[in-house]
Order: sequence, then C-alpha cells, then structure tokens
Amino acid sequence: MNERYSRQVILNGFGSMGQDKIANAKVLVIGVGGLGCPALQYLAAAGVGTLGLIDGDVVSLSNLHRQLLFTTNDIGKLKIDVATENLTALNPEVSLKPYPFFITQINILNILKEYDVIIDGTDNFETRYLINDACVLLKKPLIFAAVSAYEGQLAIFNIFDENGIITNYRDIFPIPPASGEIPNCSENGVIGVLPGIIGTMQAAEAIKLLTGIGKPLINKLLNYNLLQQSFYEIELSPGSVNSYEIPKDETSFLNAKFGFSKNKETYRVIEIDIDELQNINKENDTILIDVREVYEIPQLNQENYKQFPMSNFEKLVNENLVQTNIVLICQHGIRSLAAAEQLHEKYGTAKNIYSLKGGIARWKHFFTSQK
Amino acid sequence: MEINILSFGKIAEFITINRLDTDEIFDTDGLKQQLEKTYPQLKEIKYKLALNKQIVQKNIELLPGDVVAIMPPFSGG
Repeated sequence: MNERYSRQVILNGFGSMGQDKIANAKVLVIGVGGLGCPALQYLAAAGVGTLGLIDGDVVSLSNLHRQLLFTTNDIGKLKIDVATENLTALNPEVSLKPYPFFITQINILNILKEYDVIIDGTDNFETRYLINDACVLLKKPLIFAAVSAYEGQLAIFNIFDENGIITNYRDIFPIPPASGEIPNCSENGVIGVLPGIIGTMQAAEAIKLLTGIGKPLINKLLNYNLLQQSFYEIELSPGSVNSYEIPKDETSFLNAKFGFSKNKETYRVIEIDIDELQNINKENDTILIDVREVYEIPQLNQENYKQFPMSNFEKLVNENLVQTNIVLICQHGIRSLAAAEQLHEKYGTAKNIYSLKGGIARWKHFFTSQK
Repeated sequence: MEINILSFGKIAEFITINRLDTDEIFDTDGLKQQLEKTYPQLKEIKYKLALNKQIVQKNIELLPGDVVAIMPPFSGG
C-alpha cells in the first residue's frame, strides 16, 4: 500500500478501491483563486490522477488572505506557474495539466471534454454561466460553489439522482444578473477563511462523487453562513420548460451570447514550433518577445528580440508594438501563452500573435547554437 | 397567517424581518409581490424562493408556519 494515502485507504468504505478510483480520475478546477486553491490542494494531496487547473491571472497582494497556495514572494507571478510548482511538491504522483489562460467560449468545450468532473471556482457570472451551459451540453458533473462576504453556496449539477431528476445552475437562477446587480468579492469583500471552507467542501464532494461514498450534494443547494456557523440545504428541481435555453450542440454553443463583449476572434492565439518560428522570423515585420525574468538562462542573442519580464507585464501591455507578427517565448511556453492571450485582448485581429510551444527548454539546441 | 422568512446574502441587509403576519397573502406569488412592494430593492436583483427547503418553481399555496427562504446568486470565488 502506498503510505502517502494509507490514512484514507484504511477508512471503511474507501479502501484501495476508492484510492484506485481517485487515481484514475480526471478533475478540472476552473479558477485558481479563493475556492480553487484549497480544492486543488486537497485533491492533489488525495491523489487524483489527473488534475487540470486553469487561470490566466497573476498573483496579487490582495489574493493572499485567502489563496494559500501563494506567498508574498509570488506577487506578479502567473498563478498557474506557482500553483503547479507547489502542487507538484505536495504530490509528485499527480499529473498536473496547467492552462495559463482564462476559460472562454472558444476554448471551454475542448478542455472540458478531457475531464470527468468539473469544479467551478471562478469569480464572475459570465464565466459561471459559460461553465454551466458547457457542462450541460457535454453532460459533465459540475461541482458549483460561490461565496459572498460571510456566506457561501455549494451544489452538484448534471447528475441524475435516484429519482431520475437532473438540475443545473439555471434551474435556480435562469438568467445571469446584469453587471453591477450582485457585487463580487472585490466590491463586496469576503472573509479569507470562507472560500477556504467552501473550496475544501468542493474537494470533499469531488472525492465523494469519484469514490461513491456518502451522499453527494446532487440536486441540493447548500447555503453556508460563517457568522451563524449554520447550514441551510434546499432541495432543487428543474425549472419550468421555457425559463431558459441551453445550446443543444457545439455550433450553437459557439454562437450563443454569454455576455462576453469581446470579439471571440481576439481569443485566438497560435502556438508554433521552431520551424514555424523561423519562417515567421524571415518576415521583416516580426518581433520576438521573451517574457522570462532577466536572471533566467540561457540568455538569448536573437535578431528583432526584446525582453519584457512577466513580473512587469504591464509594461508590455502598455507598449505600442509596431510589428505585425509578435512571437512570445519563455522557458516552457506556459507564461508566453498567457502573455499572448493578454496581447490578443489588446490587439485583436490587428496583429498575428504567436507563442512558442514548449519554450526555450524544448528548442534549446536551436537557441544556444545561435550564439 | 404567520410565515417565517429567511433572507440570504445581500437580501438579508434590507429584509431584516424573520416573520411576516398577514391576512392578504395566500401563495408564493402573492408573497413575492408583497415583498417587492415593501422592499423595492428586491425588484432590482435576481433571487429565488424556497418553501420549506424546496425550491419554488411555480406558484405554491402558503400555510401558517411555512418557512420561506429568499436567496440571491453569489459570484465570488
């Protein structure tokens, strides 16, 4: 028996069967914030076989009171990078799949298809409805949670209960609130320990679903109040037939309106290999941007090359690049992809934005032989 | 008839009562109308009712002693 999991494997009802189920499972955590951090920590520690994590944000000082995967030294770093490093240290047996960008209407379906259980740890309604509808379309179990001030909500959607009933978030709130109607954490505040509790409960529900132990919160909405230390559980049922509509196929999903104001074309970043990079480099109108920190090696000596470290990413966003082709590079192709997504938001289709897949590490021979 | 009221999130900031004594309300639709009249802020936001811990998906008759929860959506994470 693997000693790492011995204390849960000896549990009645869990056993090595339960551990095997967890080890074979693929769980995606969307949003590495107040909810996502604790969910990821416990799921990684429990030995979930494949753990996907998706977030395009960097660590900021105001995150630290509730996002305990990060420390003060991590401010400015990509959340995905720090989380991947710390979760690997916590449990190297878990296969981590980091996605260093935000989930969008374009990328969500392909990513979700890879996973058995989806955990929503995002912080805005647009993305929450996007995730809900994608999960309904793909029939993926969704562990939903949200917090505000001192209260939290938790539910599992898209699984038939023993009575054959299945519900989703739109059965509670059919139509997304208008912007400003309901305040978010940055406007309304949140006590740090609250998402810690609720995110940990999401991990608990995922483990219950995967192993089949206990009673998961299927078709139930759990309201938690930290100040009262009280729980209030509501039984859910489907809403009336015409109260909402969810896209029935992938084409209508891609064409549906989720309130994202940006043109979806702007989310398209192209990942390239070294041959494509060389071809693009032949065009005069190309700049190679290295987003690694200045101390990272090997140092490069390329033509049309400029360094914009990720720790000062604002500088790159504020710079008006004249070239049409922008190729972003970093050590492993993760930070550069996140940077590329952000630049796409700025330039839209006006520029061709690329990220070198695998980064300098994969094409080391090419970069070092150029010196 | 006396109904118990449980308010959540932002709604608890303006609906501070936990009991409603009325002879004019007979069902959940009537209760909604009455609440939105007394608390106009409620009309401005999305919310859902639960009656005796069951989500309300259509108009349901109210009985004395019923517990009605009023819940807004949360987005924070």
